[in-house]
Amino acid sequence: MRRSLLFVLMLLVLAVSALVAQDLTLPMKNGSVKFAVIGDTGTGDKHQLAVAKQLAATRARFPFGFVIMVGDNIYGGNSARDYDRKFAIPYKPLLDDDIKFYAALGNHDDPSERYYKPFNMNGERYYTFKPADGVRFFALDSNYMDGKQLKWLDDQLATSGSEWKIAFFHHPPYSSGETHGSNETLRTQLEPRFVKAGVNVVLTGHEHFYERIKPQKGIAYFITGSSAKLRESNITQTELTAKGFDSGYTFMIVEIVGNDLYYQAITDTGKTVDSGRVQRVGKVEPTPNRTAQPVVATAGSDKKTPSKPVR
Amino acid sequence: MHVIRLFVVVCVASVLSAAAAAAQTATPKPPTPKVSTATKEKAAEQNANPDALVLADFQKRIDAYMAIHKGASKDAPPRKETNNPAEIKAAQDALGAKIRTARATAKQGDIMTPEIQNKFRRVMYPVVTSPAPQGTAGREVKKDIKEELKENTEERKEEGGKPVVLKVNATYPNDTPLPTTPPQLLMNLPKLPEQLEYRIIGKNLIIRDVEANIIVDFVPNAIQ
Repeated sequence: MRRSLLFVLMLLVLAVSALVAQDLTLPMKNGSVKFAVIGDTGTGDKHQLAVAKQLAATRARFPFGFVIMVGDNIYGGNSARDYDRKFAIPYKPLLDDDIKFYAALGNHDDPSERYYKPFNMNGERYYTFKPADGVRFFALDSNYMDGKQLKWLDDQLATSGSEWKIAFFHHPPYSSGETHGSNETLRTQLEPRFVKAGVNVVLTGHEHFYERIKPQKGIAYFITGSSAKLRESNITQTELTAKGFDSGYTFMIVEIVGNDLYYQAITDTGKTVDSGRVQRVGKVEPTPNRTAQPVVATAGSDKKTPSKPVR
Repeated sequence: MHVIRLFVVVCVASVLSAAAAAAQTATPKPPTPKVSTATKEKAAEQNANPDALVLADFQKRIDAYMAIHKGASKDAPPRKETNNPAEIKAAQDALGAKIRTARATAKQGDIMTPEIQNKFRRVMYPVVTSPAPQGTAGREVKKDIKEELKENTEERKEEGGKPVVLKVNATYPNDTPLPTTPPQLLMNLPKLPEQLEYRIIGKNLIIRDVEANIIVDFVPNAIQ
């Protein structure tokens, strides 16, 4: 009896300490668009479980309505057991609360994942959705950026009247990672389109760390590829990094309030490693002739934390 | 006299070493067009470009494959969104099995005939070797491909994945990363139906049936 009581008490202490460890600084306003971002998650190991647990604990205080997955959703095999072990079980508390997950395909993902209903891809490799008025997401398949997908993106961007345009996909156009680095080929395909159409924020993964890139051509780029895998000391010193964190597992929470997008990067132990705001200046119209977008990213702390010296 | 001899020896040595260095860094020669006599005759007869006939032949062969794919799809479980991942895998495996049965005797070159392979190598050569091909930031596509191959091989080994077996009708291993196909290549290669895709495996180009997860055919040494 005493042992059981002690066990329950210990669990309570652990749960409370996990909550206390978080230092949520977002506005947390009623009616705002709240979501989380996770990347490179599908391992099914203890690190994914730890991040998932912290994600669920965070939701108790920051009630996000959906989760963006930036790819590598299921590593390795893709049997029913793999889907359970690498997705359904770790995120069960969120799925049970009807939290929607929106997935993009990574290089470790079988494209048939698009038929898995809980990924909300509607059977498509690339798709768009609008969680609230004024905000639209564009999920892209950066593994296979063919003419058809680019044409689709052009059409969707041109007709989207949303003020906030957020693209998410796996490979980062900008990165200070030693392992992968910036995907310049992809950047040359996407960036001009993003600039022309007024995309505000780009969420990616692939690199197993967290990095906030200094705004590039008015676009805020984030890498969140350490929600289950980590490449320690992999961020090299480059001019790109606004904030880097490569010594722990992370996820992001985001809140959009009017013209401001607040972000916070949190570790699996509940520690905040980055936070700040992206400000959208002026109204973005879907004008085909526009060549620059009125978006300025502002950061909470622009402290560099590169692990590796300049190469 | 000795000075002149020494000068000549130094000059010859310099020229030879420079030539050797140049040979090491030189870009491989572009593939020479190889069009069969039959295609040449047909082109002359129709007053057509032989390359256009080669590409038309490729399209015809892809269409023939797609007829098999569609036939097999009719008998396989439907591809639809589901909460049950076992159904996704079962549908993929069932389609793959049906296509394999229908193409039991298929072999490398059935779709990618020697002259189609040659055409593909010629199309890909300028894209992968140019120091700044259209649509890049001055970076060689070939470098990207090499780097990704290295990364994927390391990741595959880390995760205990199987290497890709280059064989017609072989399954693309589920636990092996899919290499990114550079957009510049996709812009230049003939378009494929949405059920098929190009992927670069090492130096080879494969056509993969996305829905059945099988290798349909491939071009060995496509990256010159």
